[in-house]
Amino acid sequence: MTDAVLGAVIVLPVLASVLPLIASFWREDVGWWVAVAATTANAVLVATVVRSFVTEGRLSHEVGGVAVPYGIELALDGLSAPILVLVAVVSLGTLGYTRKAGPRSNSFYSGYLLLTAGLIGVTVTADVFNLYVFIEITGLAAYALIASGGDGRSAYAALKYLLVGTVGASLYLIGVAYAFVATGTLNMADLSGRLAAVGYGDGIVLASFAFIVAGLGVKVALFPLHTWQPDAYSAAPYGVAGYVSALVSTVAAYALGRIVLTVYTTEFLAANAVVSSALIYFGALSIVAGSILAVLQTDVRRLLAYSSVSQFGLIVAAFGIGNETSVFGGAVHLFGHAVMKGALFLAAGVVAYRLGVTHLDEYAGVGRRVPYAGAAFAVLALSLVGVPPAVGFVGKWYVALGAIRAGETGVAVVIFASTLLTLMYVVRILDRMYYGNHETVGDGGKVRVSRGMVALVVVAAVVVVALGPAATAAQDTLALGEVLGA
Amino acid sequence: MTEVASLRPLAAVAVSAVAILGILAAHRRPNLREGVTLVAAACKFSIVASMLPGVLDGTVYVTNLGELVAGIPFALRADALGLLFALLASLLWIPTSLYSIGYMRGLDEENQTRYFASFAGALSATMGIAFAPNLVVLFVFYELLTVSTYPLVAHDETEEARAAGRKYLAYTFGGGVAVLAGTVLVYVAAGTVGFSAGGIEGLTAGAGTNVARLAFALLAGGFAVKAAVMPLHSWLPDAMVAPTPVSGLLHAVAVVKSGAFGLSRVVLDVFGPEAVAEIGAGVPLAAVAVFTFIVASVIALRKDNLKRRLAYSTIAQLSYIVMGLALLKPTALVGGLLHIPAHAFMKLTLFFCAGAIHVETHTDRISKMAGIGKRMPLTMAAFGLASLGMAGIPLLAGFVSKWYLLAGSFAAGQTVFALALLLSGVLNIAYFWPVVYQAFFETREESDEKPVVDAEIGGYWSRVPDHYTPRAAMADGGDDVHSHDEGWRRVGWRGGEASPFVLAPILVAVGGAVVIGIAPATVYFFRIVRLVVENVTGVAV
Repeated sequence: MTDAVLGAVIVLPVLASVLPLIASFWREDVGWWVAVAATTANAVLVATVVRSFVTEGRLSHEVGGVAVPYGIELALDGLSAPILVLVAVVSLGTLGYTRKAGPRSNSFYSGYLLLTAGLIGVTVTADVFNLYVFIEITGLAAYALIASGGDGRSAYAALKYLLVGTVGASLYLIGVAYAFVATGTLNMADLSGRLAAVGYGDGIVLASFAFIVAGLGVKVALFPLHTWQPDAYSAAPYGVAGYVSALVSTVAAYALGRIVLTVYTTEFLAANAVVSSALIYFGALSIVAGSILAVLQTDVRRLLAYSSVSQFGLIVAAFGIGNETSVFGGAVHLFGHAVMKGALFLAAGVVAYRLGVTHLDEYAGVGRRVPYAGAAFAVLALSLVGVPPAVGFVGKWYVALGAIRAGETGVAVVIFASTLLTLMYVVRILDRMYYGNHETVGDGGKVRVSRGMVALVVVAAVVVVALGPAATAAQDTLALGEVLGA
Repeated sequence: MTEVASLRPLAAVAVSAVAILGILAAHRRPNLREGVTLVAAACKFSIVASMLPGVLDGTVYVTNLGELVAGIPFALRADALGLLFALLASLLWIPTSLYSIGYMRGLDEENQTRYFASFAGALSATMGIAFAPNLVVLFVFYELLTVSTYPLVAHDETEEARAAGRKYLAYTFGGGVAVLAGTVLVYVAAGTVGFSAGGIEGLTAGAGTNVARLAFALLAGGFAVKAAVMPLHSWLPDAMVAPTPVSGLLHAVAVVKSGAFGLSRVVLDVFGPEAVAEIGAGVPLAAVAVFTFIVASVIALRKDNLKRRLAYSTIAQLSYIVMGLALLKPTALVGGLLHIPAHAFMKLTLFFCAGAIHVETHTDRISKMAGIGKRMPLTMAAFGLASLGMAGIPLLAGFVSKWYLLAGSFAAGQTVFALALLLSGVLNIAYFWPVVYQAFFETREESDEKPVVDAEIGGYWSRVPDHYTPRAAMADGGDDVHSHDEGWRRVGWRGGEASPFVLAPILVAVGGAVVIGIAPATVYFFRIVRLVVENVTGVAV
């Protein structure tokens, strides 16, 4: 029975997203309450399905009772379950932040709920065309939220994101079309078998793979397809930046992993050594380039954005290596990075709202002026570097172990070096925060920082440390070996 | 060897971690805050010492804490080698805490709460390193030690201190990355990274010689960063910008010796002396160590800033330990491991003395210390004793370990290394004696030229301008606040020269060095070291 709830977790936020708009006829300030009610209810639903996944294993639901492969299938397995939990928790947590930090308009919360629905849809769908639909819903809602900053910069950033993002989605759609032409099916499991039958060396299969990876690469914001991301993250309000940076690229990277690993499968990667190397080095390039670009930034938000480019490189490389160890590492890092990066943006928001500073040079003495959020920022940033026992280390450990086991020495070197690359830009901030001379610190932002906002960031920092040991404990439950078909 | 499940290793790690909270909470009441530090230090030492009788009888205390990464238990395990390090660090934390109080208050330093909290954190991490049962746990605490000592290096918040802090992070995280890479290689090759006396079985067979060499190079190279083996040493002299108790306990004992300790785990418990010899890694490592202690000693000759001279001395002395480990012979191993506590007592004395001079007279440069023996007689006497010990003069701690190192060098058939050791002893005298001589036998008005320090490099051929500029007058880190034209005030031998908080720790530390030197067999460190070596090699020394 719980299978049907897989549909409900998408439908509930979609339906709820209409309510704030309707309510706008009477009142302008109910959007937040509707969003809280809907996300809380949805979190309960998510808890139900994840619980039955934990006890029973993979869940699958045929939408409208139309049989697979003709109908749309929704599914939950070890790869998607953590992402679903992540979306549910982060979307609820971010609301705690936007209550004071805003935006507060009803239409914003309509977009927020729609984005949540899109993200959940991408996570649970088992149909490549349906995935496209949800990617577009996610994208459109994200464009709107980015634009909610309300100034010229956010409008520009949203437009840039719209243009680049649409190209990415279209490339993905072209890839799906090729695959459909080759096989006549859109269901992931079915497609997987039929692609094997067509032959992994076949030109049309390879072309579809290339389009899909390129399209999702835009959405993930891998170097050099990342150009929309720094603008989008730095122009959006902090609450939105936190939400978008935690989830949108994360879910796109999940989709990339899902398609590469379960539709094309690791046998496809094994059969096409060049393709798999290309994917791995695509990721490795992103690690290095993203870090270097991050070091060059002077705005903290842009620095964090480029850091994402680098971290997602690690995740894509992990998926490209494709053995169970590295994929688990990639999944851990996907989850861990989402919490770390989202919370870092929210912490940067606390700093900006309280002191009115966003530039790196203005961060001098921030550690003293904003002690709790500052300490949380330091913990999150260090765990991004990979200081154990926080989750950043655990993910990196499994990816590196998988890389060595797969004989991918070159990538292993990049992964190990990524610690130092991350350190380069993290130290720049921490050094200023705690040891900069504190005369340059400005005063006052527009928004009054509530205790809840600070508490949220501190809790996230604690979670990031606790997730380290917890990740390994979840390994057996996720059973990624089954997902990979091993 | 019997394993006993016990919470004591965990308690030893946790006590100062918990103390951090107390220190932060008491930030408005300095006396209470320092009280927390002292109580934590006393508790930590008691907990560690309580395991000593058991460990000497062959018991190993283990706390199991589940897993951090799959297949590798996250546990804390107090065996003989771990207890050696833990006992040393926790014992010396007590005098260092007292000294910190005298030093930090004597100088009215800012951010004392952050200082004491970071110090407690560093000690927690050190215990974790000591009690790590495998490379992953060791790595975890090794990184945490880096993080917790960074605020101490950058403590002054000057541009110089911040640069030193950044350099410190870059070097030590770089070393950490190498350790992690080596750990992964060992895990893939052997299926385990757990320490076992004499080495993990089948490691070199499973890895193949070249991969084993690579893994050894990564692990040894990574730990060599903190052990300040050349050419990876350059963070250490810069880190001397930290407050002197930090330089004393962390950059002469806990941090740098975590590198030496990590290396000893790699040599003794991961690869094992036989496998290290088999892959031919011993002699190159020993050669690097010999190079380091000769070159560092020569550089020390020309350092006018006392703390920097001590830093180069630390670099040299740490390489004694490395050489002892790399020679792989039982006597050499005893010498190397025994040098961990021996050097700790002596170098802590020297740093405490340097700090006392700084607090009392704001003098950092040796060239300004002529006649200071009048002003600080006990301090300088302790300095003299400790520096004799450094050189390996009998009846002091340095002699005992050096004796075993020499015996080990001959046992390994490396007469060259033995000669290098003796040469290094001479160099030790050459760079320490001028300090003592100046203090007691010169005055400000009557002091000899110091050609080694003052002359330009290049001698006759150097482009020295007509007006001769003494090197001592050039910037060499640290400025003298006061000028002492009036000469030193004479202070008697009854302790009026400095605050008791500063003076007592100096006397305790130098006392330790003398006791180890006169009666090594009565000191527990020596018994532990012999037990470790016997467990690893099967040979009783």
